Amino acid sequence: MTDSTADSIPQIERLSSAIPGLDLILGGGFFRSGVYIVQGLPGCGKTILANQICYGHVKRGGAAVYVTLLAESHSRMIQHLSSLSFFDTGAFPDRLAYISAFHDLESGGLKGLMTVLRREMRTRKVGVLVLDGLVAASEASPTDLDLKKFIHELQSIAVLQDCTVLLLTSGSVHRMHAEHTMVDGLIELEDRLFDARAERSIQVRKFRGAGAMRGKHGLRIDNDGISVFPRIEALYQSTTSATMAPGATPSGVPSFDALLESGGIPLHSSTVVIGSTGTGKTTLGLQFLNASSDAEPGLHLSFFEGPDRVRTKARSLGLQIDALEQSGAVELLWQAPGEAMLDEIADRLLGAVHRRGVRRLVIDGLAGFAESAVYPERLNKFFSCLANELRNRHVTVLMMLETRDVVSSVVSTPWGVSGIVDNLVFLRFVHDEGMVERLLTIIKMRDTDYHAGLHRIRIDSHGMHIAGTYRADGDVIPSAAPAS
Amino acid sequence: MKTILVVDDELGSAEVLGLILEEEGFRAFCAVNGQLALAQARDVVPDLVIVDYMMPLMNGAEFARELRADPAFERTRIILNSGLPESVIRDQFDGYDAFLRKPFKVEVLLALIRQLLEN
Repeated sequence: MTDSTADSIPQIERLSSAIPGLDLILGGGFFRSGVYIVQGLPGCGKTILANQICYGHVKRGGAAVYVTLLAESHSRMIQHLSSLSFFDTGAFPDRLAYISAFHDLESGGLKGLMTVLRREMRTRKVGVLVLDGLVAASEASPTDLDLKKFIHELQSIAVLQDCTVLLLTSGSVHRMHAEHTMVDGLIELEDRLFDARAERSIQVRKFRGAGAMRGKHGLRIDNDGISVFPRIEALYQSTTSATMAPGATPSGVPSFDALLESGGIPLHSSTVVIGSTGTGKTTLGLQFLNASSDAEPGLHLSFFEGPDRVRTKARSLGLQIDALEQSGAVELLWQAPGEAMLDEIADRLLGAVHRRGVRRLVIDGLAGFAESAVYPERLNKFFSCLANELRNRHVTVLMMLETRDVVSSVVSTPWGVSGIVDNLVFLRFVHDEGMVERLLTIIKMRDTDYHAGLHRIRIDSHGMHIAGTYRADGDVIPSAAPAS
Repeated sequence: MKTILVVDDELGSAEVLGLILEEEGFRAFCAVNGQLALAQARDVVPDLVIVDYMMPLMNGAEFARELRADPAFERTRIILNSGLPESVIRDQFDGYDAFLRKPFKVEVLLALIRQLLEN
């Protein structure tokens, strides 16, 4: 008697998609032998997604077959794919094949198509089968029930052959189709315009056997194929709320640290430095970065000034950013604002933090994130999750936020920023008998006492320093107010 | 040519397996529950049956027990399969030749069939 099983119900193995970020939102990849529909309008990336999965499987030593019905010709598809980095001619013909089954569908209906699929799975011993053109199979089906039976039979074969099946269809994403009820998962791709800007997304609408990350996630197509960027609020929703460690770290401006009873910025805290252009935000950030070391690596993310301009500015302040960069203690990261997706930037930032074990982070400025947000209502939760995750990773963060008003005594904090950060510092100009003065005010500093006065600041070739307190009438005392 | 009877109530499962077995050179018959399978078995006297455990009217264990009680099927090999652990089924009936836990790979099944039929 054969007894190859234990009493427990065995878990189904997973198949990695080989698409960065996709396994994360699927909770570990596709379930092996599952049948999945990938749905979306033409041009949203279905073909690239399915091919990338095939090539990834082949790269791991498996075999795959790509079956088309009424889709682009194989030669054109291969030509288009050849510019992508995952493309590998070495996969042909033994481990990856492109075949057309349209003739079998036309002559033999769904039964004829099923015969081809079954034989391809058997003879090629493939672990991944793509059927591109489910719409054509659906149209060849006399009734919805026939199509359901076709899918069911396909599921039986997939299990017997240990083959994961992807069914690609351009069917409407807003209508429930009969086949949706049958398959193990339904993945929807979308390419949507937000004014003039287009943004791709992916959504797992159904995924049997596991809790996939719900909602829409960013999707990018470039020379490496598809990358998926999970929505940061979904990715870190189960992360515990991090607590700040005791202690402080130097801000890089000793006279500023002297205003704080802790002697520096609280460890692993998030500070927003808010002020209009020219008030000294970038200077403060660079001095904070200048205090980086091998033990406390620093990272500078800028949206509006490229690394060369940042280096030039640092030199003018007498800072050693060049040397720190060369030693590896500092990295300057530049992100062009506008076209990048919000979660893509967060992914890049957290990746850079992880790669070098960053402990000091400067984000100059927060508006770069906001400009990338196609759903502005996300920003509050986004920043909250980002700040919490950075705290979890033991990073002390300075974030610069530019205000519109050059001279103002009101601190406007958009996106609920004041509520999610630990510390808030306000920089501004005031007129004083024909002179313009820069002032610094600490509005909030968590877990430490501080001098809450109006502090005059000077910026010269040695950087920023506090130059005493400023006497003024009450109308320049700042009050935090949400931006309208 | 060896004859195999596949018994499974799940839509399409028995048919798919039957087609694969025919491609492997067996004569295959299908049934969707124990009662129909018993009638079919009396007609064709299979060399081997592959039977699912959980089915309507007559489950796989009841079917296999009937088969074992009939001298006509003395040489018929029985492969019982189920998504349940074998221990659950063995409590009710243990007269089968092999047990396969669902889902199984077709190569595993084919190897088992050849082993049982050679013996």
